[in-house]
Amino acid sequence: MPASPRRAFSSLAALAVVAPLALTACTDNAKPAAGATDGPISVSSTDKECTLSAVTAKSGHLTFDVKNDGQQVTEFYLLAEDGLRIVGEVENIGPGLSRKLVVTAPEGKYLTACKPGMQGEGIRAAFTVEASGTTASVDSDTKALLDTATKQYVSYVKDQTEQLLTGTKAFAAAYASGDAAKARSLYASVRMHWERIEPVAESFGDLDPSLDLREADLEKGQQWTGWHKAEKDLFPPKGYTALTAAERQKLSQKLVADTQTLFERTRTLTLTPDKLGNGAKELLDEVATGKVTGEEEIWSHTDLWDFQANVDGARIAYQNLRPVVALKKPELAKTLDQRFAALQTELDKYKVGDGFKYYIELTPDQVKQLAALVDALGEPLGQLTAAVVL
Amino acid sequence: MLGNFLIGLREGLEATLVVVILMAYLVKSGRSHLLPKLWIGIGAAVSISIAFGALLTFGPRGLTFEAQEAIGGSLSIVAVGMVTWMVFWMARTARTLGTELHGKIDAAATGAAWGIILVGALSVGREGLETALFLWAAAQATGESTVPLLGAVLGLAVAVLLGYLLHRGVLKINLGKFFTVTGIFLILVAGGVLSYGIHDLQEAGLLPGLHNLAFDVSGAIPPDSWYGTLLKGTFNFSPATTWLEAIAWWAYVVPTLYFYLRNYRRSQAARKAAAARRATQSLPADTAPVSSRAAAPVS
Repeated sequence: MPASPRRAFSSLAALAVVAPLALTACTDNAKPAAGATDGPISVSSTDKECTLSAVTAKSGHLTFDVKNDGQQVTEFYLLAEDGLRIVGEVENIGPGLSRKLVVTAPEGKYLTACKPGMQGEGIRAAFTVEASGTTASVDSDTKALLDTATKQYVSYVKDQTEQLLTGTKAFAAAYASGDAAKARSLYASVRMHWERIEPVAESFGDLDPSLDLREADLEKGQQWTGWHKAEKDLFPPKGYTALTAAERQKLSQKLVADTQTLFERTRTLTLTPDKLGNGAKELLDEVATGKVTGEEEIWSHTDLWDFQANVDGARIAYQNLRPVVALKKPELAKTLDQRFAALQTELDKYKVGDGFKYYIELTPDQVKQLAALVDALGEPLGQLTAAVVL
Repeated sequence: MLGNFLIGLREGLEATLVVVILMAYLVKSGRSHLLPKLWIGIGAAVSISIAFGALLTFGPRGLTFEAQEAIGGSLSIVAVGMVTWMVFWMARTARTLGTELHGKIDAAATGAAWGIILVGALSVGREGLETALFLWAAAQATGESTVPLLGAVLGLAVAVLLGYLLHRGVLKINLGKFFTVTGIFLILVAGGVLSYGIHDLQEAGLLPGLHNLAFDVSGAIPPDSWYGTLLKGTFNFSPATTWLEAIAWWAYVVPTLYFYLRNYRRSQAARKAAAARRATQSLPADTAPVSSRAAAPVS
C-alpha cells in the first residue's frame, strides 16, 4: 500500500504511459517484401483445413491475410521450425472475418498453423522463407538463432565425446592386451572424435596436455602420457625400445580415465556464440600449424585424418552459426560456403576407403595446395565471431 | 455469427467486469461523486483504442506481433497493481462508512481521483487495442457480409448488459457482506488478469515457458464454448495454463487475499466499536477511531 498515494500514482501513471511506448515497435503495413513477386499470402482457415496461397516466401516482411471460412473462431500462427517459438500470431478471427499478420522473418524453415476452435496443436504445415536481397535484422530473431546454434553445437560436442569414449575404450583394450594390429587400425579413426572438438577439450586446460601432448613439446620433468606416446609405441621409429606390458597397461588406463573425465565435464557444457566462432578459427589454425606440417602424427602419418576432423569441427560450428551470418553478413556466408567446399574437394582427392593417404605419400606441391586452401579459409573464418556477436 | 458474438462477449466482459465492481464499490461506500472520474478514464481508453486500432488497420503501418502482445501484457500487469491498490484503498475507507469522516479522507487522498481515472482506463484499455482490431476487422468484412460485425457488436452489448445486471445485483448485497464479497471477487479477477498478462508476454517471447503447461483442460472446456467464453471473460481462466501463469496466480491471490481479509476484519471491528460508542454515548461521529490499530480484530 503506497504511503503517499500521489507519488505512487504519478509513478504508476508514468509507467503506464511509458511501458507501451517503450515497447511499441512499428512495422510497415502490407508492403510486399522486396523482390517477392507475390504480395500478401492469403490463408483460408476452415474447420478442417488451412490453405495457403503460397508455402514459400522471400525473407523480409511477410504479410498473411488470414480469412476464416469456417464456423469456429480460429487463430493463425507462424512458428519457428521447432514448432514451439511463436514468430507471429493473430487471434480472435471470428467466422467470416479476415485478419492480417505482418511478420519480419529471416530465411529458414517455419511452420504455419491454423487453430479452429482455438485449442490444440492446430492444422500445421511446413513453410519456407527463402533468401531475398533484403535482410531481416530483428534482434530477437538473431538471439533465437544464436541460442539454437549453441544448443546444436553443444549436442555435437556431447555426441563426439560419447563416440570418443567408446572408441578410446576399444583402443585401450586392444593396445593393453598387446593386439597391436587392432590398436593401429583404431588409432586414427578414434582420434578424429577428439580432433573435431579439440577447442572445447582444450578449454579444460589439464586434459589437453595429458591426452594429446606431442613428444616434441615435452618440457623438462614432464610426464609423457596420452595418445602420442601410444602412437610412438605402435608405429615405432628405428632404435625405439617398446613399452613393457605393465607400462602399456598404465598408459591405457590413464587414457581411458582422462577421456572419462572429459566426457563427464562435457555433460554440463554451456557455450556462447563467440566460443563457436573462435573455436572454428582455432581448429583451422590447428590445421595450419600442426597438420599441414605433418608434425602431429609424426610416426603414424595419419595427419589427414586429423586434418579432416579439424575441418569437420570448424564446419559444424560455422553451419550452426550460418543463419545468423546469412542475416548479418550475407557476403561472408557466401565466401565461407565456397572456401569450405573448395578445401573439402581437395581433401577428398586423398580419400582411401574409410580413411586417407598417409601424409608422407603427398608431394610437396600437394601439401602446398592444401596449405593455400587452409589459409584462404582461415582469413574469412577469422571474421566469423565478430559477424555473429557484434 | 455465434463465433464473433462470443469473442465480443468475452472481450467485453474482460473490460467491463472490473469496472462494474468498482462502480458498485464507489456507490456503496458513498462516493458516487467519483463515478464521473471513472467514466472519464473509460472513455479515454475506448477512444484511444478505437483510434489506434483504425490507424493500424487502415494506416500505412502495422504493429509487430511482439509489440502488440507486449502492450497487452504489460498494461494487464500494471492494471493488476492498480486494482489491488483500489481494493485496499476501499477496504481502508470502508471503515468510515456511515460517518462524516470519509469526505475528509477522500479529500486528503487527492491522488485517489487520478487513481480512479487510471483504474478505469487500464481495465478497459489493456484489452482495448486487441478488441478494436477485432472490431475493425469485423467492420472491414461488412463489404461481404454484415453478420460478423453484428455478432461482435451484439456480444459487446450483451457483455455490457450482463455488467449492468451484475452491478444491480451487487448493489443488493447487504453492507455487512458487500466488501468481503466484492473484494474477494476483484482479487480473483485481478489474479486472472495477471496470468493473462504473463501469457501475453510469454507469447511475445519476453518471458520463457510458453509450452510448459501446468494443466490442459481444453478438451473439457473448449475455449470457443459459451462456458469457456464466460470463464475466460470473467476470471480470465485459460483452459491450457502454463506453469508460470499458474504460479503467478497463486503467488498473487493467496497473500493479497490474506492481507485484504485481515485489513477488512480490523476495519469491521473499528466500525462496530465506533457504532457501539455512538449508540451508547451519543458521541459526535468524528471521534470514531481511524487508526487501523484502534481495535483488536474480532475473532
